[in-house]
Amino acid sequence: MQIRRTKHVKPGSKLSFGEFMIFLFPLLVFVVLLYGMLGWTIYVSFSNWVGVQPNYEFVGFKWYRQMFQLARFQADVSNNFKWLILGVVPTVILALFIAYLLEIGSIRGVETYTRTLILYPVAMSFIVTGTIWSWMYQPDKGVFNTILHTVGLGRLAGRYVTNANTATYWLIVVFVWQYLGFSVIILQSSFRTTELQEMIESALLDGASRMRILLQVIVPNIRGGILILVSLLLISSLKVFDIVYVVTFGGPGFATDVLAFFMLIATYQQHLVALGAGVGVVIFLMAFIIVIPYTIYAFRKWFE
Amino acid sequence: MKTKSRSITLLVIVTLVILTIAYVLPIYVVIMTSLKTPAEISERQYLLPSANLQFQNYVQSFQLILPSLINSSIISVSVTLLSALFGGLGGYYLSRTRTTFAKVLFILVGVAVYLPYQVILIPLVQIMAQTGLALTHFGLIGSYLILNVPLAAVLMGTFFTAIPRELEEAAEVDGASRVQIFFRVISPIALPAYASTAIIVFTQVWNEFLLALTLATPRTTTIQIKLAEIKGSFVAMYHLQMAAAVITLLVPLVIFLALGQYFIRGILAGALKG
Repeated sequence: MQIRRTKHVKPGSKLSFGEFMIFLFPLLVFVVLLYGMLGWTIYVSFSNWVGVQPNYEFVGFKWYRQMFQLARFQADVSNNFKWLILGVVPTVILALFIAYLLEIGSIRGVETYTRTLILYPVAMSFIVTGTIWSWMYQPDKGVFNTILHTVGLGRLAGRYVTNANTATYWLIVVFVWQYLGFSVIILQSSFRTTELQEMIESALLDGASRMRILLQVIVPNIRGGILILVSLLLISSLKVFDIVYVVTFGGPGFATDVLAFFMLIATYQQHLVALGAGVGVVIFLMAFIIVIPYTIYAFRKWFE
Repeated sequence: MKTKSRSITLLVIVTLVILTIAYVLPIYVVIMTSLKTPAEISERQYLLPSANLQFQNYVQSFQLILPSLINSSIISVSVTLLSALFGGLGGYYLSRTRTTFAKVLFILVGVAVYLPYQVILIPLVQIMAQTGLALTHFGLIGSYLILNVPLAAVLMGTFFTAIPRELEEAAEVDGASRVQIFFRVISPIALPAYASTAIIVFTQVWNEFLLALTLATPRTTTIQIKLAEIKGSFVAMYHLQMAAAVITLLVPLVIFLALGQYFIRGILAGALKG
């Protein structure tokens, strides 16, 4: 679709106060509520709220100091970084590879087939995916190990999410599985600009190899699409919580624990509400850092 | 840039086979298992279909999850309709206004869309508990609106930007007010955009877990909570677990298969590529 905008309009000026309220009041209410609650969470993180009754006594960084010393918090941060890196990098590379193959392959119907095949998990919740994959991973009776034993590869059978050393990685596999189709769709749409198609044609005429075209022509020219995709995947992998909850509940020990999960445990199981709020603030700061470049990019596109 | 090269065709086929296995195997095993008796499941012939399809597994688990299916439907449909309405109004304003206020609001809304619920969870639970809203469906509906109205505004705004302004200018010359233009001229053209936005919001709310977990009371338990509960407590009852999982994913899946194009457009608009 072509974006057309007439230059001479002076919008906003034509809106009366009543009209302004009709268009904006509902949105403003929810935005104000959201940022109000964010501020409230930040305040709680500096309070001394422990237990069910709210306690807003200001104690400064007391709970932050506690938090940074917790072994569980440190393990969570390192797990979160595993998610941020391994949930994103392989997904982007695989998606790039698949999207490119769909562009250059010439078998009829392949594209529709592949899109439906790998995109359906987008419609699924992590609870459903988690339930399904728990069943795949289950060490004694699970699907993977049973199949491995049946085909005589029993020695490859693993303990997947019950082995503290590998559990997080197997959870990340589920995430990559779920987000691959989504990633392919986003990259494909950034392939499809006329300028890029023309550049590819002329590179082909120059006799460049398919691999060189991908790395030297396509990748540098879809930086925008990649930035968007990486941001969205980073945010999604930072938010991951449901999948941990339903597959491992943070275990074994807290091997698969992540900040988003610990926030809930600290607040509603241990009733260290101030600590939970602090974890929430850390999550917010990480999300904020991820979202800022993306928002600036979106802002420029929107108000160009 | 299609190619007839043999090696690339081969590569495409190999990739397709791998992807097919990776994406069909899980769902295949789940559907097969959901139709077996517990005794059959313990034989561990996961790839073979049941000798005697157990459709009553579905009847059983449907009875088990029916109340939560109803709750999820009430909540998801309400949030979807309200988000589309409010988001449409707000998104229209954002797409047509270039004031500083609009720019600041755009940033606030843009960041809001990607905030995790964890950052507002504590105050939200506090408000919902003290007002008693948590006891009714309004609690979850209101909570979901907080993040989904900004999302809908961004999605709808992206679509509105692509609608040529000449249409509105013509209506303005005829003396129509902005509100009339929005409802009579813009919204009818934007129906496909509303469909995309509605699908995205509906799927998100239907699939949401964290807020449902902390705010749902026995009368408002959503389907995802119920499913997690079944998985937790009926440890060995894989047949019911899998049947419940199939029913839970069926609703968004049917929407996805029937309205895939709108779904994809929604995803792309969410990625600001509309």
